[in-house]
Amino acid sequence: MSTPIIIEKTKSSPEIILDKDNSKFKIAGRSIVEDPNEFYSPIYKWLEEYIKSPLDTTEFVFDLEYFNSSSARQIMEIIMLLEKIIATGKKVKVLWMYEEEDEMSKERGDEIKLVSKLDFEIVEYPAEDF
Amino acid sequence: MTTNTIFEFYKLLEKDNISFAYRGSFSNNVLTMVTQLFKENLGEEHDRLRNKLSFLMIESFQNISRYTEKEEVILLDETSEFFMTRNVGDIFYIISANLINNDKIPSVREKLERVNTLDKSELNKLYREVLTNKQINEKGGAGLGFIEMVRKTRGKLPFDFVEVDDKQSMFFMQIELSASSEEEITTTDSIPLNDAKQIQKLISKENILMLHKGDFSSEAVEPLLRMFEENMQNVSLKKHKKIFHFLVEILQNISKHSFTIDGKHEGIFQLGYENGKFHIGTGNFIANHEILYFKNLIESVNSKTKDELNELYRKYLREGKETKTGSAGLGLIDLARETDDNIIYDFNEINSDYSFFSLTVNF
Repeated sequence: MSTPIIIEKTKSSPEIILDKDNSKFKIAGRSIVEDPNEFYSPIYKWLEEYIKSPLDTTEFVFDLEYFNSSSARQIMEIIMLLEKIIATGKKVKVLWMYEEEDEMSKERGDEIKLVSKLDFEIVEYPAEDF
Repeated sequence: MTTNTIFEFYKLLEKDNISFAYRGSFSNNVLTMVTQLFKENLGEEHDRLRNKLSFLMIESFQNISRYTEKEEVILLDETSEFFMTRNVGDIFYIISANLINNDKIPSVREKLERVNTLDKSELNKLYREVLTNKQINEKGGAGLGFIEMVRKTRGKLPFDFVEVDDKQSMFFMQIELSASSEEEITTTDSIPLNDAKQIQKLISKENILMLHKGDFSSEAVEPLLRMFEENMQNVSLKKHKKIFHFLVEILQNISKHSFTIDGKHEGIFQLGYENGKFHIGTGNFIANHEILYFKNLIESVNSKTKDELNELYRKYLREGKETKTGSAGLGLIDLARETDDNIIYDFNEINSDYSFFSLTVNF
């Protein structure tokens, strides 16, 4: 049992779900926070605990519409924490979601995939209808 | 647009606590966001002014659409509609400019001259008369808008017509609102309308769509971003995202790194569109001892190829949050790799402590 972290999204920060019991791990929305350290530090703390006894397979969803360059580093930090799980023999899968035609989000995903050691899948989903 | 222009605008707006100028067609969204921008910049002491200010901005906007002659503005030029609001000292100004047919000028002039000479009770009387008058013409204007403006401001409405050709002119009008008292504003202590005309001219010449001077602390950047998003609905997602990206990086750069004067991150921001390219320009103060750092950083980023920039970005990325590299580094690299042109910059020394730092990117 571990206490999940669930943070609702705002205009400048993403939605966060870190829920081991329901095996849901997700960051979604927009991250343009100016001081990302403050926002992301509870997430690191949670993940540092989690990687000590992770699930057999951790499926981590990134569905980021937009993030600024200082958030890019925080996202990478999360990826690097997840990389530590592989060393224990357990599996990690990253699903990088982007809305169709959103080339920038796709490119950013491609780039992070390139520098990460994780099983990394880039997934397109259809644009929302209004 | 050149970086010199940013400094030129800064000098024109030097005394402004906040100013916002916009060229092109208007929507209520723009209005809502301008109000928000002023709210964030002005703080609570101006709370009671806000409603009045919004009301007058609405009147001024509607005035533009009521009198403007263009059916559809496709390309912006020196006759595009212009709107500006600024606060200098104790006075708020709302300036509008739009195209008007020359044959309408005498009647508009007459209405304005009339309201400008009336005192309070005469204005109230005229207001009631016009309200009950059944013969108001189809454009809705027997000058009711003008009467309202004067009643709300207790000042005069400076105006002017600048001839474009033998058929049309640009109609300039300025509303003045005092923040501190209900006293009438005397023309001697207010900024002349000519100032606004000069700014409008420069904005047109430099193909600027939006110009903002004010505080660039993070709370103040938020409404600016939102305003932008609201007005980008017609632009393709790809372009939209890119512009948004540039805006975030560049505005947050100001709020993070600029020299603070009186607790404010004062800066200027402009967005333009010319020859199929957008350009974003910013100007802010930086401490003189930081000039060399930024100069070297930009020079180094400018000298790199796209591949080198990508490689550098990825290297920094894996350094994660523990990185020693200044965060301006990553942001600038990111800007540079998304644009085909070099980042243009300039420094103008203000005094022995700080300088004016201007930066432009095209994309």
